[in-house]
Amino acid sequence: MPELNKLSILEAQAKMEAGEITAVDLARACLPEIEKNNKELNIFLEVFSDVEAQAAEADKRRAAGEKHPLLGIPLAIKDNILIEGRTASAASKMLEHYVATYDATVIKKLKEAGAVFIGRTNMDEFAMGGSTENSAYGATKNPLDPTRVPGGSSGGSAAAVAAHMALGAIGTDTGGSIREPAAFCGLVGMKPTYGAVSRSGLIAMGSSLDQAGPLAHSVADTEAIFNTIRGLDALDSTTITDTTYPKATLKKKIGVPRHLLKEGVDKDVLRLFEQSLEKLKAEGYDIVNIDLPSAPLALSAYYVIMPAEVSTNLARFDGVRYGLSTKGTTLADDYAVTRAEGFGAEVRRRIMLGTYVLSAGYYDAYYGKAVAVRNAIAKEYSAALANVDAIAVPTAPSVAPKLGEKSDPLSMYLLDVFTVTANITGHPAISLPMGTVDSLPVGLQLTTAMGDEATLFMLGKLLER
Amino acid sequence: MISIEEIRNLSALARLTLTPAEEEALSKDISNILDYVGQVSAVTDGRRAPSAAAADGALLRNVMRDDIPTKTLGDRESLLNAFPKREGDFNVVRKILDKDAGAQ
Repeated sequence: MPELNKLSILEAQAKMEAGEITAVDLARACLPEIEKNNKELNIFLEVFSDVEAQAAEADKRRAAGEKHPLLGIPLAIKDNILIEGRTASAASKMLEHYVATYDATVIKKLKEAGAVFIGRTNMDEFAMGGSTENSAYGATKNPLDPTRVPGGSSGGSAAAVAAHMALGAIGTDTGGSIREPAAFCGLVGMKPTYGAVSRSGLIAMGSSLDQAGPLAHSVADTEAIFNTIRGLDALDSTTITDTTYPKATLKKKIGVPRHLLKEGVDKDVLRLFEQSLEKLKAEGYDIVNIDLPSAPLALSAYYVIMPAEVSTNLARFDGVRYGLSTKGTTLADDYAVTRAEGFGAEVRRRIMLGTYVLSAGYYDAYYGKAVAVRNAIAKEYSAALANVDAIAVPTAPSVAPKLGEKSDPLSMYLLDVFTVTANITGHPAISLPMGTVDSLPVGLQLTTAMGDEATLFMLGKLLER
Repeated sequence: MISIEEIRNLSALARLTLTPAEEEALSKDISNILDYVGQVSAVTDGRRAPSAAAADGALLRNVMRDDIPTKTLGDRESLLNAFPKREGDFNVVRKILDKDAGAQ
């Protein structure tokens, strides 16, 4: 039999529909791959013990006449997404033994579709990082080159798909955490429009920025997952409907903010970027230069707004109702020692930074200004996207760094320079493989108008041909 | 440069115990990061303040729900099981009131 774990989701689905293979066969193709390589690559924090039973259940549902693109498809789930009755630790010591008491909406929808959950994947602690080195359970290695990082924070999810341990994966993206690992692992990864996918049941990082989304080998697979998990949800009042934003009309134009590419981008990455633009030109698209005057401030605004939301969201971890609980000398001390013991260095750094930018005397200078800049950037993006179908930039300025290479926090943050903008503005964005530099993959990022994932998928399929 | 004193104040506000070595490292890291993100503080042109922008945000709307209990956060038993220290149906927490303190 061919290697079933290397099929795309849609190929595997067609084979199951044709009765050539079963979901149990697919699960049995993925599990040995994990058995063989997970120890070295540290991709899964836990492989679920009931994978074959889940697959058998999917086969039963198919036999009863059910159909869905994800029925019986093995997926890897990031460790910050709640699945009832299973551990969800956000790769933190704080939640090492936390068992989810309900399903995230994303999970509920995937269960209804009949997807099979292989296990929970490693990540940067509480999704804070761009390399998966900030996990409390050790770094994940890039399956394409184990001396390098897989990107992050959804590094385990990306690596699981790249290593063919699952056919697709769910990640979360607060500043590029789906798109950057997708680029570093040679995959397609998409951050939906803010509100397209419910955040109910995601362990929150930056609530005005977080979105869950798919990682897979092809654009069509990514689309199939997105179509399954999207939709209005009473449990997340920021979710949107199909009519929240006006439908986009095709302009046959791609905008490139050349002024953002002048420095800091690897020249081989730029060469591949230009090749992708040539491909789009050959498909009849005009490549036009656009100006986004506030965009150079996006990273600064992001690293004010995100830590502010982090310090607020993570205030809930106090050792009283769930999670790690360590006793100090007083009640206030209980909180402080629990948090010191439970949180890793990067999480502590961001809580402190967030506390600073929100504190009296600094609020106006940092948080207030960052929100004003955020609004300006959003306006500029929306204005640009009224004239072009998509804005194109490289997903990351370089290939995946070596493990330990970016030890200074600021140099790690700079990897997010092209991805944070879509979280700041809420626009949907996709990372598509655009070739390799010394056999390491790099990604092309496209951003479209609010609610217009359809154009991302359409352009992605053009470039995939 | 953020001083060690400021770091100590922040760690108290953030309910986070830090070792002296961590205080020192954080004062350096946070100073570096603030130097970079400080770019936003320099913006003084017509980019609008958040309150004005929020007022015309097309997506800002009230979302109301009927006051009907539904199963959302899971069942009672699993929530009780999440307590760090459970005794029967109670969460055991530190005693913060002294029984005799009020009588003095």
